[in-house]
Amino acid sequence: MRVKVKSWNTVAIWRWEVNDDICGICRNPFDACCPSCRVPGDDCPPMAGQCRHTFHLHCIVKWLSSDNNPEQLCPMDRQPWRK
Amino acid sequence: MIKIWSMKKEAAETDRKKPKQSAAQIRVQKDMGELDDLPKTIKMHFPDPEDILNFELTITPDEGIYRGGRFKFTFKIDGNYPHKAPKVQCTQKIYHPNIDLEGNVCLNILREDWKPVLNLHSVIIGLQFLFLEPNADDPLNKEAAEDLRSNCERFKRHVIDSMRGGYVNSERFDNVLVA
Repeated sequence: MRVKVKSWNTVAIWRWEVNDDICGICRNPFDACCPSCRVPGDDCPPMAGQCRHTFHLHCIVKWLSSDNNPEQLCPMDRQPWRK
Repeated sequence: MIKIWSMKKEAAETDRKKPKQSAAQIRVQKDMGELDDLPKTIKMHFPDPEDILNFELTITPDEGIYRGGRFKFTFKIDGNYPHKAPKVQCTQKIYHPNIDLEGNVCLNILREDWKPVLNLHSVIIGLQFLFLEPNADDPLNKEAAEDLRSNCERFKRHVIDSMRGGYVNSERFDNVLVA
């Protein structure tokens, strides 16, 4: 039997390799984006601190630069946030 | 075959017609989902059902010194939520070491200890805790705090008098008793 392949479609899935499913700040999944972005992916990555707590980059940056958090603490453990 | 492209277009069309939800609204909606198991001592009321950022909360403690009272609060959540705490105000004039006569509330997580991983559930449970365990440290009503610290029996008496709408330290309080 001879088979002639006329066309094919490739499908791929991706997910972020992080130790949590949702961002503790916005509560959206990491595989979705933060509320200020429209599309998930490289433009809205997760970010982990040395404490291993992970948030959307945009969510944690907003909190670290907030007037309500002058000491730039991790919102989970209240330790200074370190990259 | 499903016409996926035209479906996508339609979806985008209806998306555009819907008013876009703000980040704060999306987050509050998620918070509300976790409020199903609130104790029966706590009730929420939405004066404008379209507006989930402004609502009223009633706490009716079933134990502790404040048992028998019904305490009303307004919640105002602005567009910076959860990066800013909700604004919570007691709408009655009550005698409580951690709530002043204007209704401002001294609860750490509403002020210096707020962090965006907290949610409405934490705030509501924190508020109820103030009625079960009023604390004399870091008071907003200094006289009430002094009573609580120096003479617990007198404090209890004052709480009961105030909840009836009586006078305490020549200040008249609102009647908050459950009718």
